Amino acid sequence: MKRSTLYLMLLALVTFTAPLLISAAKVGETARDFTAAASNGKTVRLSDYRGKFVVLEWHNNGCPYVRKHYNSGNMQQLQKQWAARGIVWFTIISSAPGKQGYVTASEENDYLAKMQAAPTAALLDPTGEIGHLYDAKTSPQMVVINPQGVVIYDGAIDDRPTTDLSDIPGATNYVNRALEQAMATKPVETPATRPYGCSVKY
Amino acid sequence: MRWCAANPCLPTALTLGTTLLLSAQAAATPIPHGTLELVAETQWIAPGHELYLGLHFQLEKGWHIYWVNPGDSGEPPRVRWQLPEGLTPGAMEWPRPRRLEASSIVNFGYDDGVLLLMPVQTSAGLAAERPVRVGAEVKVLVCREICIPGNAQLSLTLLVKSRPSERDARTRDLFAAARKSLPRHAPAHWRFSVNDAKDSFVLTANLGHHTTQAIFFPFTESEIDNAAPQKLLPLAAGFRLTLRKSDQLLKPIERLKGVLVLSPDQAYLIDAPVGKPVAARNNYGIGIHPAQSFQEGQ
Repeated sequence: MKRSTLYLMLLALVTFTAPLLISAAKVGETARDFTAAASNGKTVRLSDYRGKFVVLEWHNNGCPYVRKHYNSGNMQQLQKQWAARGIVWFTIISSAPGKQGYVTASEENDYLAKMQAAPTAALLDPTGEIGHLYDAKTSPQMVVINPQGVVIYDGAIDDRPTTDLSDIPGATNYVNRALEQAMATKPVETPATRPYGCSVKY
Repeated sequence: MRWCAANPCLPTALTLGTTLLLSAQAAATPIPHGTLELVAETQWIAPGHELYLGLHFQLEKGWHIYWVNPGDSGEPPRVRWQLPEGLTPGAMEWPRPRRLEASSIVNFGYDDGVLLLMPVQTSAGLAAERPVRVGAEVKVLVCREICIPGNAQLSLTLLVKSRPSERDARTRDLFAAARKSLPRHAPAHWRFSVNDAKDSFVLTANLGHHTTQAIFFPFTESEIDNAAPQKLLPLAAGFRLTLRKSDQLLKPIERLKGVLVLSPDQAYLIDAPVGKPVAARNNYGIGIHPAQSFQEGQ
């Protein structure tokens, strides 16, 4: 086969497959970059946080699965525990205006204060652009990105897909596991799970 | 009943009778946007014979609950049976689900309502002419756009009689309809094969006739991409269905198990071995992994 023919074929392949690949952020690939307005008034660009572990948490304050983790204090505890170890945590709200979980910046700030939540920032994504970039299906859905900017975990917060607060103590928390293993330079044992929760209200 | 020659008359009389009888029974328990009732197929328990109980969910229009594999979100109802000694619950029987599509996700579940069936083995030593109380604690997530978790504590009292049990007229149609939508074993001459084709599982079915409609529901989560369209290719003696793999599927699977729905009343259990992975090829004959061709920052 002539080199030029091969090149053309490769080009065709890239052209045809690239749009498909853009549609979903997969584990092992570079995390898609984004810029978002945070509820604290700042603008956040994901790629500015290269060099640090970053956690993305899809959020909807009306979803019973999210409430399970906030009313129990589990999510806030995770945010604080990992912030103490230098990890960046973005809570992302991809609910469209009028849909469950949609909040204005000041409503979100009130919520963060009331719940004593401690993410690095809460990002407002009313167009769902970031949600679609990561193919976020549920709230909560959790993504962990390593300092090299590669997605190392995508899926559920833990292994108990219920709305019961009593299921939290015995659960295996996949985010903790991924971060602990990656920080110990070990491979992440469970890099992808089925996220559980409410559908993201795009 | 000569004045009842008109067709609607008899059903009306029956409906009225049914309503009166049911009101004497345990009433349906409210759950979010619907009701739930524990029902029995037979009028009494015959010791040593199988008994069928049912959980009858009735939902307001637009609301749904989930199948055993809920798909991209949600969770199936969870039941804790409370049965006295001598009664042993079997495995819950789930009517075939429907694909419930919402924005970019797909769930597997039931809108309107469903009857989940529970076979119960009864001991031959059950004392006759004694009432037996059966109970169930149910946790259920009811969703439309939003989801509301509900709980229900249900109970039903049945008499034990030492003669063959008779069908309960109040629940006969309900059980009959649910049984029609239960997945059945596929006819012996049907053949299924599954090929592991890198990004997809390709299910080839030989049913002996041309087939233009089929939907597959996997029993296990994270095997196929629920929201991806299932591409069907009708064949002279069956069909070929391409099921995109889930991103969460990290290890090869040995068997593909689930329910194949050909029409609302034709659902079949499938348990097919997955053939060895086909060498990764594309239409261009170049052995390139798509991930490598991705350009960062797009």
